[in-house]
Amino acid sequence: MVERIETRLREAFAPSVLAVVDDSEAHRGHAGYQEGGESHFTVKIVSGAFQGQTRLARHRAVHNALGSEIIGRIHALAMDISAE
Amino acid sequence: MTDANTQIKETVTANDVVLFMKGTKEMPQCGFSSKVAGVLNYMGVGYQDVNVLADDGIRQGIKDYSDWPTIPQLYVKGEFVGGCDIITEMTLSGELDTLFDDKGVSYNKEAADKIREANA
Repeated sequence: MVERIETRLREAFAPSVLAVVDDSEAHRGHAGYQEGGESHFTVKIVSGAFQGQTRLARHRAVHNALGSEIIGRIHALAMDISAE
Repeated sequence: MTDANTQIKETVTANDVVLFMKGTKEMPQCGFSSKVAGVLNYMGVGYQDVNVLADDGIRQGIKDYSDWPTIPQLYVKGEFVGGCDIITEMTLSGELDTLFDDKGVSYNKEAADKIREANA
């Protein structure tokens, strides 16, 4: 899943910084945790594509790039998005 | 327009600040909801909490309403502001204070400053 998320984001934003971390294990026992992980992710992305966009627009762009299939499958996605 | 949609619209219109969350402001049931509720509670903001876990129609309806796939969701004066990441960033940058000032929502400025000091 981490690779899928990375691929989508690379294709959409050509980021200068991209880090996708599966931190599902830290949420073991919490709501949304699923055996085998792949439920909770943290994304840090820096790309000029976000220049001039509001926070909402940046987050929406990432949601769209990932698509409803990925978004629907994971429980949580924490994001740190910035422009260059 | 669906019932959930009507209900959501009425709720965000009737209340200055509304947080759609998992659980309640006294007993959040998700870390992200808990974080936003905690900020609002600490800042002394009067807000209406809506527990999406108590109503499947609202749980899906709020995602359609805002075109936003995750919970929590904060509304101020009927306008969608953001989820956990955005509210956290806005709290730390002071933008949330500015938004509340602009919209005439009362809050404890000292408490907001304390949050920023603690996270500096």
